[in-house]
Amino acid sequence: MSALKKLVNTTKMVTEKCPLVFNVLAECETTKARVGKMCLPHSDVDTPVFMPVGTQGTLKGLLPDQIDSLGLQIMLSNTYHLGTRPGPEILEKAGGLHNFMNWHGSLLTDSGGFQMVSLLKLAEINEEGVKFQSLNDQKSEVMLTPEHSIHIQNAIGADIIMQLDDVIKTTSPDKDRIEVSVHRTTRWLDRCIKAHKNPNTQNIFPIVQGTLYPDLRELSAKDHVRRDVRGFAIGGLSGGESKDDFWKMVHLSTGLLPKDKPRYLMGVGFAMDLVVCSALGVDMFDCVFPTRTARFGCALTMTGQLNLRQKNYKKDFRPIDENCTCSTCKTYTRAYLHGIVTVQTVACHLLSVHNVAFQMRLMKTIRDSITNGTFPEFVQKYFLNLFPEKDYPKWIVDALNAVNIKLL
Amino acid sequence: MKFILEGLTKCVPRIGALKEIEAHPGLSIETPMAMLYTRGGSIPHITHEVFKIISKEPQIIQIPMVSTYHYQEVMEEYDGNISEFVGLKDCLTCVSVQDPGDLTQPGHHAKDHIPLWTRSGKVLLNAEQYMNTVEAFKPDMYYFLSDGDTNAKSATKRISKSVENTVNFFKICLDRHRKSEVLKNSFVLSAIAGGYCTKARKKCINEVTKDDIVKGVLIDGLHNNGPEVEFIAFEEPKSIVEFIVNYLPEDKMRVVQGCWNPVVILKLVRMGIDVFDTSYCNLVTERSSALTFNFDNVSETQQYEINLRQNQFADDFKPIIENCACLACRKHTKAYIHHLVTVQELLGPLLLKIHNNYHFMKFFEKIREAIRNDTLKDLEDVVERQFMAHQRMLLNTKATN
Ligand SMILES: [Zn+2]
Ligand SMILES: [Zn+2]
Repeated sequence: MSALKKLVNTTKMVTEKCPLVFNVLAECETTKARVGKMCLPHSDVDTPVFMPVGTQGTLKGLLPDQIDSLGLQIMLSNTYHLGTRPGPEILEKAGGLHNFMNWHGSLLTDSGGFQMVSLLKLAEINEEGVKFQSLNDQKSEVMLTPEHSIHIQNAIGADIIMQLDDVIKTTSPDKDRIEVSVHRTTRWLDRCIKAHKNPNTQNIFPIVQGTLYPDLRELSAKDHVRRDVRGFAIGGLSGGESKDDFWKMVHLSTGLLPKDKPRYLMGVGFAMDLVVCSALGVDMFDCVFPTRTARFGCALTMTGQLNLRQKNYKKDFRPIDENCTCSTCKTYTRAYLHGIVTVQTVACHLLSVHNVAFQMRLMKTIRDSITNGTFPEFVQKYFLNLFPEKDYPKWIVDALNAVNIKLL
Repeated sequence: MKFILEGLTKCVPRIGALKEIEAHPGLSIETPMAMLYTRGGSIPHITHEVFKIISKEPQIIQIPMVSTYHYQEVMEEYDGNISEFVGLKDCLTCVSVQDPGDLTQPGHHAKDHIPLWTRSGKVLLNAEQYMNTVEAFKPDMYYFLSDGDTNAKSATKRISKSVENTVNFFKICLDRHRKSEVLKNSFVLSAIAGGYCTKARKKCINEVTKDDIVKGVLIDGLHNNGPEVEFIAFEEPKSIVEFIVNYLPEDKMRVVQGCWNPVVILKLVRMGIDVFDTSYCNLVTERSSALTFNFDNVSETQQYEINLRQNQFADDFKPIIENCACLACRKHTKAYIHHLVTVQELLGPLLLKIHNNYHFMKFFEKIREAIRNDTLKDLEDVVERQFMAHQRMLLNTKATN
């Protein structure tokens, strides 16, 4: 279907001055998908990449050795949680989160702003920052400013850090307020860049805002592209908007961002979304879903999800997925997992391993098919497998149409 | 599988070994030792993948029926044994009745049955049903069904009833074992009931140890399992265990279940007990603690156990024990584990469990070494000194609070 366009590979190196080098290694001829290598201070990262979320400096009970054998190159940690416990002082004393948790791959941290707005009820945002009531002391109010967020993220020491942005509910209809947030987010970006103490070892990513207004997104992207940064995040999505709005904003945003820098779509990680958004030109994803759902006995497969709590697995002696090579599928049957899910913590570990392995395998398949020039065929087959009756959701058909893939 | 004692004399403490194991012909598992405690067939917090990382040698996992009874129906159709089913196929399995880590609710007796408090409630189990499950599990070792619902305070009537039940169960289990094709290579341990009454124990031993099929014995009915066993002072079971051990045929492997603390374990070893379990490690892990007692001569400052929840560890970037070779100590600090347990992340108990199990296994290695060098009493003194200092400290903290 498509001949592969090989790019002249002028491989750049990570130097002390440049903690992120991004090389696009292959581009899909049909869609906007591309394969890249992102060289970070702690490791190389093959893109498109899914980053599992290790909120509090651990990936759901997995040992660093296990994380290594899953082939993980980068994971995400949450600034709000780590800033509360163990706190920046301990992290600084430990020499950063990498040392603290003994993980030698790459790390990315969020700004903490989103978590505050979503976790804390009384968050209020003004020009200075995000104001919220402390969880520890009911009476005191605490302010998270761009400077404060960067201070914590510097203490954590992740390879990629996020600017603090003015988070607005994605479905908010208040265009004036959204416009304010777009401008404020850029002002906060400049404050973050100014406060950033480790520009030689940590990369700060701006966040493109504008929720569902194309003109505001355009404004936000254009403002951010002018700054001296090495990658971009697409924010303000995955917040309850319709899938129709969602893909259009992703499509628009990747079109506005420069081709030679990585694009990170925040908070997106369902398998279908990963396939569609890779086609739309996204390079990085993160989501708590694969590890969170493991806790409830849910296993991910290429054809959907298995809820291992269900009685029909009681005597099912097959592995979760015959084609999966993870340590869980090599050793355990669905029947045994059914017997321990939600009762033994071991079950949570086992499903986390499988679900992360599933995400890794899906991303590798996406990368390999882009490199081989068979990405459109892979996408067609993937969705036919998921929807054998061809009752494809409309947004998927439309989104793929926009990048020249017709589902079979 | 055979249990072979080192040396032929009647002496205690003793070194023995399980040998000629069908699945592992070259393997020899030395005693005194501790079987790995499991719940629902899993070593708490430790998956097969982690087990392979931390343990190179096959070990014996103890499978309490009370937490695995719900697999019976499944195992009847499963083409394999219980160790394969639970994902630990390199381990040997030993099926026990009750869970040493959980308090066994006393009472609720019914004629010819024992109550089993499973996940889905009370199950009244008789010897035939028990053997059906054992046959479905196909373990390498198992105990015959017993009524172990006695402790130091049990009344005479309950004690004689427990012996009567256990002897009846013995006869049925023995008969079933003789007829069983799938269990013909399984190592059989009979159970001795009788609480703290020498007469009852004697009667039970006379009935359940004569047959050649019986390769080992479980001294049951000393307690009702669960966390309280940690605080049973040695003086309580001392005379009854002494009596039992002296009365037992010496060639049989002797097992005692429960979360006994290391001091009591050492004293039981000195009396000639061969096998224990790691339910104690589980108990310590669940309270976010790490075992740190030293096996060699120690300074007075040596802590017996540390609780990683304490704030003093928040910026302690040293491992739990400086030169411990376990994976948790080689790769992680107390500060990190403190963080994990305070934010309730699953990796916290996992790392603690790795260390505690490792430390406990090393402790048993040291016990065997001390028996060979005739220094067991010294080891006991060292451990007891640390343990007593720790108990005093706990009492003082309680008093000041
Ligand atoms: Zn798997
Ligand atoms: Zn250790």
